[in-house]
Amino acid sequence: MSLQFVVDGLLAGSMIGLGAIGVTLTYSILRFSNFAHGDFMAWGAYATLVCVGAIGALFGKVAPIAPLSFGWPLIVGLIAGMAFTALLVLLLDKVLFSRLRRQEQAIIVVMGSFGASMALRSLLEFIFTSRPTYFSRAIQIAMPVGLGIRITPDQIALLVLTVVLVVGVHLLTTRTQTGRSMQAMSQNPALARVVGIDVAGVVRVTWIIGAALACVAGVMIGILIQIRPFMGFDMLLPMFAAAILGGIGSIPGAVLGGLIIGLAEAGAVQLIGAEWRAAVSFIILMAVLFVRPIGLFGVRER
Amino acid sequence: MSQTVLDVRDLEAGYEPGVPIVRGASITVDKGEIVVVLGPNGAGKSSLIKAVAGLVPISRGKVLLDGNDITAAPAHTMVRLGLAFVPQTENVFPLMSVEDNLKVACGILERREAPARIAEMYAMFPDLARQKRSAAGNLSGGQRQMLAVARALIIHPKVLVLDEPSAGLSPKFVSMVFEMLSAIRKSGVTILLVEQNAKAALAIGDRAYVLVEGKERHEGVASTLWDDPVVAELYLGQRPLKPEAGGAA
Repeated sequence: MSLQFVVDGLLAGSMIGLGAIGVTLTYSILRFSNFAHGDFMAWGAYATLVCVGAIGALFGKVAPIAPLSFGWPLIVGLIAGMAFTALLVLLLDKVLFSRLRRQEQAIIVVMGSFGASMALRSLLEFIFTSRPTYFSRAIQIAMPVGLGIRITPDQIALLVLTVVLVVGVHLLTTRTQTGRSMQAMSQNPALARVVGIDVAGVVRVTWIIGAALACVAGVMIGILIQIRPFMGFDMLLPMFAAAILGGIGSIPGAVLGGLIIGLAEAGAVQLIGAEWRAAVSFIILMAVLFVRPIGLFGVRER
Repeated sequence: MSQTVLDVRDLEAGYEPGVPIVRGASITVDKGEIVVVLGPNGAGKSSLIKAVAGLVPISRGKVLLDGNDITAAPAHTMVRLGLAFVPQTENVFPLMSVEDNLKVACGILERREAPARIAEMYAMFPDLARQKRSAAGNLSGGQRQMLAVARALIIHPKVLVLDEPSAGLSPKFVSMVFEMLSAIRKSGVTILLVEQNAKAALAIGDRAYVLVEGKERHEGVASTLWDDPVVAELYLGQRPLKPEAGGAA
């Protein structure tokens, strides 16, 4: 078999992993499964697309940066898209999730997120139609890197970006006061208040991190595959599988889970056929959970 | 006349509207004192101090800290106002290291002050220094209580409020916890505590209140409170006056 699946798997795993960080943070700090998380990805990708379009209209055609398929407008667009996605998610929290959380029943919030997911997706279809679109239609030549593996400059850049973001978020959550406050909230929200942690502030930071990473994952999918309203929803199951596989609440776990699912799916496509893609990742998920029910990096409560 | 640090006036509080558990309680704590709140089970002792700490809704009355009205201030603002609360159970973050448990409480300190304060806590509690890298969930019951108290002290509180610090501890740790509180008071910290373990608490306390059905029914000097027949009747009912070792829990 060709080792090409390793590159494909790492890329798919990066997208899944970045999304799974948001899923795992929302689950451990806000205590619900957010089914709208995939749609944050799609909104992030479309917001970035609109920004890139606006920059194009203002500054004319901008040449791409050397070997990559995109130029600075995409980088600026991505940063604006992350900010937009974060604001959108904070707004959604204010009008929907924060009200539902007051009922103190996770299932109500989960159902609310289902509704938000459908509404967000339909809104995208309404504004942009369901026809796929692209950041760039240029075709990149993949460079051979040995062992029969080929990789494009875009793919290398996105893998590097993923590593930088994952390390950054990991340091933020383990080495800073904000991160310690997030850990405290996930372990004991009542005690967190007693020690002086502003719960509303932690909730905001959690949403912002999740939304910004979802936007990056959405833009990655947009660059490497295509942009369409269902792009995020289709990522939902692999993201949840990755978060559970890695152990809920663990950021390294979510990323490792994402890579395992991504590699397994890519390998399955090559070995047994594309129709088995989803099945294989879930067989792995179940196998791991049989042996280690709390996930790879999960920790038993007390 | 010594200076009043905490002044609770005619407090009414409860989890549900119209169902008060604390019914018009008034207590004061003076600077440098240890004040103990005793009372039979269900008297509303815990609810009283939780209401003071902003954790139980207050429907009437006032809480003054150093003369400032802190009635029903949000719980997370209490440390900034100068009130540190140590809950009875689950009072450490089990998956965080001892050091991170202390660091997370330093939010209101100046960035440069925090490491020095943590070092002071390690000097006061050498057991914690030895285990600073281990997860708080792996500590013994007594060490967890130490960590919870150290975390509360780290912010220089005007008053330290504890909910049954000896609950669930083995007798060896119970005496250790009360010795620790006594030492903390000597360093100038004002303490309010609720206890089931009346005998041990009165041994270190200056004054005590007996709370019955959500209202303080008796106040007195801690050392002589046991000999007061009114207290025996309120608190112990028909039981003999002298409590057995380990208290009247």
